[in-house]
Amino acid sequence: MQHTATISRLKAAGAPPRLSGLAQWADRHFKWLLVAPAVLLILALSVYPLLFSLVVSFINYDFQVPGHAFVGLKNFERVVFDPVARWSLLLTAWLSGISVAIEFVLGLLVALTMVRSFPGRGVIMSILIVPLFISPVIVGQAWTLLLQRPFGPTNYILTQLLGQEVTIGWMTESPWLYVSLIIADVWQWTPFMFVILLAGLTAIPPNLYEAAELDGVNAWQAFWAITLPHLAPMMLLALTFRLLDAIRMFDTIFIMTGGGPGTRTYTASYYLYTVGFTQFHLSQATAGSWLFLIFTALVVMLLVRRLLKTEPV
Amino acid sequence: MNDHEKRDFQAGLEAEVDAFMRGETTRRTFITRFGQMTGMLAASGPILAMMTDWALAQQKLELADAGSPLGQAQAAAMKASMEGPADGSAFRAVEAAKAHSGVTLNMTYEAGLQALDPRNFSGPMWEQLTGMKSNVVELSNPDQYSKAVAEHIAGSGAYDVLDISPAWTPSLADGGVIAPLDDYIAKYMNPADLEDYHPLYKALPTYKGKIWGFFDDGDMFALYYRKDIFEDPKMVEAYQAKFNAKLAPPKTWEEYAQIAQFITDQMAPNIYGAGHFRKAGSPGNQFDFLQQYRANGGKLFGDDMKAGLVSDAGVKTLQNMIAANAASIPGNNELDAVSLWAAFLTGKVAMIYSWPPSGRMAANYSQSATAINFIPQSQIAGKVGYAVVPGNPEHATGYNKALSADSANPEAAYLFMQWACSPPVSLARCMLPYALRDPYRISHFKSELYGALFPSAKEYLSNLNNSANVGLLDPIMPGAQDYFLSIDRMCTAVWAGADPKASLETAAAEWNETTDRLGVDSQKAFYTEFLKLPGATADNTVEKLGMAVTL
Repeated sequence: MQHTATISRLKAAGAPPRLSGLAQWADRHFKWLLVAPAVLLILALSVYPLLFSLVVSFINYDFQVPGHAFVGLKNFERVVFDPVARWSLLLTAWLSGISVAIEFVLGLLVALTMVRSFPGRGVIMSILIVPLFISPVIVGQAWTLLLQRPFGPTNYILTQLLGQEVTIGWMTESPWLYVSLIIADVWQWTPFMFVILLAGLTAIPPNLYEAAELDGVNAWQAFWAITLPHLAPMMLLALTFRLLDAIRMFDTIFIMTGGGPGTRTYTASYYLYTVGFTQFHLSQATAGSWLFLIFTALVVMLLVRRLLKTEPV
Repeated sequence: MNDHEKRDFQAGLEAEVDAFMRGETTRRTFITRFGQMTGMLAASGPILAMMTDWALAQQKLELADAGSPLGQAQAAAMKASMEGPADGSAFRAVEAAKAHSGVTLNMTYEAGLQALDPRNFSGPMWEQLTGMKSNVVELSNPDQYSKAVAEHIAGSGAYDVLDISPAWTPSLADGGVIAPLDDYIAKYMNPADLEDYHPLYKALPTYKGKIWGFFDDGDMFALYYRKDIFEDPKMVEAYQAKFNAKLAPPKTWEEYAQIAQFITDQMAPNIYGAGHFRKAGSPGNQFDFLQQYRANGGKLFGDDMKAGLVSDAGVKTLQNMIAANAASIPGNNELDAVSLWAAFLTGKVAMIYSWPPSGRMAANYSQSATAINFIPQSQIAGKVGYAVVPGNPEHATGYNKALSADSANPEAAYLFMQWACSPPVSLARCMLPYALRDPYRISHFKSELYGALFPSAKEYLSNLNNSANVGLLDPIMPGAQDYFLSIDRMCTAVWAGADPKASLETAAAEWNETTDRLGVDSQKAFYTEFLKLPGATADNTVEKLGMAVTL
């Protein structure tokens, strides 16, 4: 009966048109057709450039040296033996490490403060996350306006607060230029940490805290015994994401210090940009990018492995 | 098929049929819609391009008030293009270009203010005269070269006219990116218009005996100083008492630092003696070092093409620059060109040396254009004097208009270049308040109309001409940007406290590496060609070669 009913309903709907040869083929290979655009896009935009860049790193690809002769490991050698490259790698690790650490601590503190409801919380949260939506170039420009002498107000304000004249060269004097870069980065990215950690905190079941309270556990103990273990995966996730982003630090440096003085604020990204797009030594920059990619991949591997191992209590 | 399988099949079929009946997505409709979406995506590119073209379309021709000097210059440019003289380069270019009506020329310009001239003035005027459209491609400074080379390698023919720094001419000419103009010049140009170039600029587009473009921007550094301070009787008296000399614009770099320090000592914190754009990456360091180093007798390269930086001249130059920095406004080493202008225009510093727009801004002429309103209004208008930079001023980069070798319309592109750089049209372009094109023709320096732009414009033009007479050119050879970068790094490291001698050695090592990379013999050949140009060294300036222009 059921079969008859179904057939009659199908008849009422009209017979489907006959499929053409192409349509039949498409029907047979439907699953491949579905993934084909994505695969083609990945091949065109990722795999081909990646392979091409590998080729470029072994040949001469310099706007000012005619021809594309095979040069073996020469481009890699130039990067490895370039003291500026080595310094930029160190600075990248140092700057990103310190920035992310500060952002993490501040983000956690703010998240812990904001996890409970209080009047005006929504407004404060909205204000806190505004820096996330600002382009890093604008962030760099804004901090330049605040810090740059003679027009920036920072030294004036510090002079008024401290009662003695402050004449810090925020973007030209060590260690202040690093402080400036870290301040700009922390200002922009602490909200990122805050948002992720807050999400983690709100996911912790409140009954755990209620039970702890009944057992007479104080706030510090609750933090160590409940919050930290439950938040650990989110912490690692936030640190991983942020660290991956921080090691690409470029925009604020480009705007605030121009890599100077000398090469003191050259990060790996800034170094590669300079070699590739100021000096036009594209093959050297490509070789450097590969080396940087290997270093980054190692860090990522370690972090992701740790992330995958972490399980909530 | 057992009962269980039959039930499953029936349930699946039911669900499919119900979905079909309800008009929900089936595999078939999915494929159809996916195809439609792909089609729309494919079509969106051209649609977006059309919208972009519309958004960035050529502006309507912007003309100044007919009674103003600029308005008169624009009218004269129009008249010369339409009515002649018949042998004028502008008129001949327009007449020949009418055959190319309907063609669109793609021309690269540095993004920002530089591009406003072809967008608002020369592009629309050219279209009105010839029916040719212009598509202005705005690029950042490095991209003006990287894109040109990349498009040449791809053979895309994306550009017709390229705006390039003269330093790039040899590389781009040898690389086949730009084409020589000699045949076109012989066919279309009035030779007298080539002779109208100031001698410092005339030879700039010449390489290996051919002409690879038209020089189009006289970026000559000049000294701008506060006349009211230099003429203040109290200051004059105090300077006389301290140094037994007259307070006047400095003639040497030692004197420059001395005067800057004197003014700072007398007037800080209200006014400081000097200011410089010394921020890393801002090109002030390289230009300043190169002009002082060569004025101090320094040689860029030895006979073996080893860098000549580690020398007494190098050390002396850096020491002079350090002394000048110490006498300057706080934050001197953090300033870029725009913030230096802001410091000067707001009356905070007494002396700066920079590009020619400094004079136009100081007179408040540039600020009449809304496009340039990020520059503060001048509080020192009428108080500014002009002088030649001590020793020899740097011609800090400049621009050539070059013909892309891959242009699909090379003749049309050439004709635009000839017209835009012709005396009457280039004069009007240089007079635009928002433009950053600076006078470079003898007729510009002598122009009554330009001289009427602001009260001291004649003195300003005269000083630019005098500066060009003793001016020095940036090195014009491959690797120039590498050499410049090393100087910038060296200078900023020294400003941050590094030892000058050690920094010179580091920079010299980088120079040598660049030379080795590009080929010592090849670089030597380029350098030898460069040394033939007037203004390549302090010993063969235009003046020393007996070619000085007197207005």
